[in-house]
Amino acid sequence: MTAPTQPESRTLADIATAVPPGASWAAYQAAAHALDRVPAASVSPRQRARVALLGSFTLDPFVPVLRVEAARAGLWLDAYCAPYGQYLAELIDPRSGLYRFRPQVTFVMIDGEVLWNQRWAQNPPLPSEPVVGGLLTPLFAGLEAFEREGTGLVVVNDFVLPRRSTEGVNAFRNKGTFAHTVAHANKHLRLRLAQRDSTFLFPLADVVAQVGRTQAFNWRTHYRGHVTWSDALMGAVARRYAGFALASLGRATKCIVLDLDNTLWGGVLGEEGPSGIALGPEWPGREFLDFQRELLDLQRQGILLALASKNNEHEVLAVLREHPYMLIREEHLAGHRVNWDDKAASIRALACELDIGLDHMLFIDDSPHERAWVREQIPELRVPEVPPDPAFYADWVGSLPSLLVLQQTPEDLRRTRQYQESRSREVYRASAGSMTDFLRGLGLRVAVEPMAPESTARVVQLLGKTNQFNLTTRRHDEATLRRRVAAGEWRVYTMRVTDRFGDFGLTGVAIVAPGPERWHLDSFLMSCRVIGKSVESALLARIAADARAAGAAGLAADFIDSGRNQVARAFLGQHGFEPAGDGLWQRTLGDGGPEWPEWIGDAGGPAPAEVGGTR
Amino acid sequence: MSGSPAVEARVRELLAQVLDMPASDVGPGLTQASAPSWTSLNHLMLVSQLESEFGLFLSNEEIRQLTSYDRIVETVARPSAGD
Repeated sequence: MTAPTQPESRTLADIATAVPPGASWAAYQAAAHALDRVPAASVSPRQRARVALLGSFTLDPFVPVLRVEAARAGLWLDAYCAPYGQYLAELIDPRSGLYRFRPQVTFVMIDGEVLWNQRWAQNPPLPSEPVVGGLLTPLFAGLEAFEREGTGLVVVNDFVLPRRSTEGVNAFRNKGTFAHTVAHANKHLRLRLAQRDSTFLFPLADVVAQVGRTQAFNWRTHYRGHVTWSDALMGAVARRYAGFALASLGRATKCIVLDLDNTLWGGVLGEEGPSGIALGPEWPGREFLDFQRELLDLQRQGILLALASKNNEHEVLAVLREHPYMLIREEHLAGHRVNWDDKAASIRALACELDIGLDHMLFIDDSPHERAWVREQIPELRVPEVPPDPAFYADWVGSLPSLLVLQQTPEDLRRTRQYQESRSREVYRASAGSMTDFLRGLGLRVAVEPMAPESTARVVQLLGKTNQFNLTTRRHDEATLRRRVAAGEWRVYTMRVTDRFGDFGLTGVAIVAPGPERWHLDSFLMSCRVIGKSVESALLARIAADARAAGAAGLAADFIDSGRNQVARAFLGQHGFEPAGDGLWQRTLGDGGPEWPEWIGDAGGPAPAEVGGTR
Repeated sequence: MSGSPAVEARVRELLAQVLDMPASDVGPGLTQASAPSWTSLNHLMLVSQLESEFGLFLSNEEIRQLTSYDRIVETVARPSAGD
């Protein structure tokens, strides 16, 4: 049934799904062979990760397990397995296979047996200090050498007592025991790894505890061939390693979107009311408190929390503000969509508002129906299966491999501030009278500039993911941009927006093909964070002024209906463009306009026409 | 001599999985010498999979001799193998 003759078209996810958690090593081996048959062309560069394994025992059987668990997380692993027992030499020697491989993540797996053997280098055995020094001194020298090359993350397993000790009930009083040696080694390992941002301690002891120590090691294969880990331990470790690989590629989850009823509390708020929902120190309700605590621990590490719930918003806000046991409050949320819309639409709106790709979001909802719907609508979104009983939620959420934060970037911190700014803006909007009053009071400033080299990545990102306010949704890549700008075929304008509440950053892009008669908009887009502020008029006004100065008589624009960009079509009509058939819109420049809105300050530098030379 | 059809099917599947062969190519006559993917490491892992799948305790001698499909079927089908 799971025979290795597989159809060629299987995807990474199909292959991994066929291997349930707890599967035998043989099933992993077969699935890894199936991965070998996945056509290289069907695996995108974003899915590929280079991972190296170094260790003191036979690691080869672990490779298929790791590859399959990585595939479950959406990764295609290129794995390097160092020769048996060569971990020190591989780390120290810059000519080793490890260095040539240039891994993105290196896992160092040294078994507690190494300490055991060094301890028993003499009889009676050696005390902790020489044993630990004998292993860690060369290991740290190796890590030092490898780090100088600056190649990716290094993740080192902690040392584990593999079996029950025979050292007696008084062992705890005594520094001369093996248990002490292991604890001593772990302390020094932890201190050393904590000194660098790129080195991590892997809690193998925690994974062994999760699997159960008697199930975690296979003593038969250990003695026969130095294959120490059981099938179960290999699977459990590989699932966590996959999280490191994801995070090292920048593909970890950045935002968790949460349902409310029966997810963050028990029961249905709309039916049972705020005092009827299960949330508090007694069962039922305790299990939801613990789940919220785990989520807040993730939030403190930098993962954003947001809500997508079908409820009445005022009732939910009342619970967030007033429920005595609610732990997740408004200030912990990066955004919320509480309404009766389709949840896929709500999640898309959150992605847009938070400026986070859907493939960096994870959706937690107790309803299998909602999960299935959202999965179908947004295939790139992570939608894990949820345990059928909330008693398991708190334990389960810690097992999701994509919820791994390597470090908080300044950008993450800026984001949190942006949400606070956006909340102040909403409060102000509610107090302002007319739309024009609101816009005047915002203190908007816009800078329209030629694309600077350091902005190219952001421009490509916006081209790649902007859906709503986007005339053509053409997803040009960086190479195309550079080539056509260099050839003089395109001018690329960027727009930065600020108001008195804060800085939206680079949130608008226009690509213009300037012709002698007419300037043609190939692309014109804005992040949804600045929709509704009339700043698009400023961007267009600057392009029109440049076109007029260059002697052009009109503007043209393409509109390609993507199903989600109606707001962009409306923009053309509102700015004097008329349809000329085949998705082409045109307007003349003869009668003035379009005007730069008088309530927007010009914060710009030189226009592209002045920088790029006249044509 | 030979095992039940269910046991044979399971042995066939295990060998196919470990050795990366179509299950239809696994059967009587398959030996370690005739299968290039039947390396010493795969042999070690195969034996361990057989041990856990069928609850076996094998002697060193038996492990060394488990080098053909027929021998494996014969061994796993034996009541309380290895006692």
